[in-house]
Amino acid sequence: MSEFVERAAPPLAETAASRRPFGLLLVAIPVFLVIWLVIWPAINAISRTIWRVDADGNTGFDLSSYAFFFSDRYSLDNLAVTLWTTMVCAVLLLVICLPIALYLRFSQGRLPAYVQALAILPMFVPSIILAFAFIRVLGPNGMIDILLNAVGLPKIRTPYLTPWGPVIGLVWDNIPLTVLILLSGLGSVANQFIEAARDVGANAFRVFWHIILPRISNSILVALSFSVLGIFSSFTLPYLLGPASPEMLGPFMQRTLRDLQDPIGAMTQAVVAFGFCILFGLFYVRSVARNRGK
Amino acid sequence: MSVLQISEVTKTFSGGTHAVNSFSLDVADGELVCLLGPSGSGKSTLLRMVGGFEQPTSGRITIDGEDVTHLPPERRPTGMVFQSHALWTHMNVFKNLAFGLKLRRMPASEIREKVEAVLELVGLAGYGDRMTTQLSGGQQQRVALARSLVLEPKILLLDEPFASLDQHLRERLREEVRDIQQRLGITTLFVTHGQDEALSMADRIVVMANGKTEQIGRPDVVYRDPKTPFVAGFIGTMNLVEGEVSNGQFTRSGFAFPLPIADGPATLAIRPESLDLTASDASKAKVHRVTDYGSHGLVDLDLADGTRLKSMVAHPDLFQAGQGVDPKPRAVAAYRNNQQIFRS
Ligand SMILES: Nc1ncnc2c1ncn2[C@@H]1O[C@H](COP(=O)(O)OP(=O)(O)OP(=O)(O)O)[C@@H](O)[C@H]1O
Ligand SMILES: [Mg+2]
Repeated sequence: MSEFVERAAPPLAETAASRRPFGLLLVAIPVFLVIWLVIWPAINAISRTIWRVDADGNTGFDLSSYAFFFSDRYSLDNLAVTLWTTMVCAVLLLVICLPIALYLRFSQGRLPAYVQALAILPMFVPSIILAFAFIRVLGPNGMIDILLNAVGLPKIRTPYLTPWGPVIGLVWDNIPLTVLILLSGLGSVANQFIEAARDVGANAFRVFWHIILPRISNSILVALSFSVLGIFSSFTLPYLLGPASPEMLGPFMQRTLRDLQDPIGAMTQAVVAFGFCILFGLFYVRSVARNRGK
Repeated sequence: MSVLQISEVTKTFSGGTHAVNSFSLDVADGELVCLLGPSGSGKSTLLRMVGGFEQPTSGRITIDGEDVTHLPPERRPTGMVFQSHALWTHMNVFKNLAFGLKLRRMPASEIREKVEAVLELVGLAGYGDRMTTQLSGGQQQRVALARSLVLEPKILLLDEPFASLDQHLRERLREEVRDIQQRLGITTLFVTHGQDEALSMADRIVVMANGKTEQIGRPDVVYRDPKTPFVAGFIGTMNLVEGEVSNGQFTRSGFAFPLPIADGPATLAIRPESLDLTASDASKAKVHRVTDYGSHGLVDLDLADGTRLKSMVAHPDLFQAGQGVDPKPRAVAAYRNNQQIFRS
């Protein structure tokens, strides 16, 4: 047996060695791009926010922009509203998309195909158009208002320009991806798993709780991380639909840079946002690893 | 004491497939009945209707006299073992077995006792902590069986549980299942398309074709006395010869056999072990191939028009390919219009 392994090993190593340069080349391109476009600017931004030129023209270690960010009421409010929006969107996405995905997975016939098409539709609608559609429907004097008015009911309090504006837009925008990821997760739950559970006496809820949920927990994590990362750093929808104050970090950065002409402040906000995204990322990686280990 | 009654059950799928067609069967207490039939004959559909996974289009299913036709699976006293075991891979063996008991709110100590007892029963004592993915195919199938047995169902349903296992393991598990079934005296419906499986374990077998019963009976009876040409051809090896009867003589291209029935077309069924061969000129039949199995031999012979017959012979060395033979049936059955009209 060991003889066989010894004789078999050399040619294997040879081919691996001859393939190595090519493999490295394939890996090199994305690695290079990531370094050039992501890591380098990130390091650059971080270093420029902590190594600063002071009034005397000396360069030195200086955390004052961060101190300002974390002591400024307005910045903290913006961070809070960003986290709040992200949280609320994540919860709403789960509450809305999980039933849709379950329905699509477990029902038969024509109707699910239409529901699926409808659920995927937002993916093909650019955020800008989505935002304006939102304003025309839910905004002041929008369609809903006109309809309510027509039947003699009072106007609604429009979510436009409140924190709920971006929430509604972002949730709508993220439904397709979330549904698709959950659906692919549900695809791995074989019918027989479910039938076996019902056979031993589990009703629909228990089947969902004990059999389906544990099997799709990774998909839920993936879906939520995707949407959470996107929502946390989103710009267009909060910019167009959200209130002027507090505002989410995306529009806040843009305004700090363009209107207040404060690149260091904007960069500081970007680094803080980046830090939070890394935290989400770490949480995701840890949960997936833990699920794997189980 | 559990009796299963299936009366006039029909299942038509939305596409219009008549999977099961007015099927009736009574399974007695403690009996093991095998459903046997070719692929697509409706065996699984029937079993799934008993388990509650499909709704019959019409008909009634009762267990111990109680109508369960419209109950969902979770409220039926049936336990099903699926073809691909369907163990929950995110739980270990113990949790797989305990799940159903937990749903019944049984105290933990009692659950432990029961699970250990049933693991012992299927020969897997001490495997409770294993993940199901760390088991061999045979062990997984045993756990699946245990998962059903631990709930003490009134009716045990098995849908080709050994289909994915190799021949050797299949035979061993088959015996074990038969053993356990008899020890527990549990009423069992077993689907298979392996006839050796059906013949070796069943109290009775039901041969199905196109969603209908072809024949129900004890395995040896069905084997010895198939009531339709389909059953004759399906169970065991059978020579089916189509020919013409006139004046009490069945003929097919030089091959003749006295058959005291009315004139007309008929199908003659002869088991290879009931077909004797004697050497002769090549006018009636010629040996095509001889296979020596050690204990016996099998001779393939061709009638003058090329119809292939098989004959089991004690001394295969007496025959060789190309040689002329005269086939003489010792026992036959004859069929006309899908019905047996003669047997000797
Ligand atoms: N869900 C379904 N929808 C439509 N037709 C079905 C469905 N399930 C089974 N059928 C059809 O019903 C018929 C009987 O199928 P069934 O699975 O009962 O056969 P079977 O005897 O178990 O075959 P096998 O030995 O291959 O398992 C087949 O023609 C099959 O195509
Ligand atoms: Mg089947």
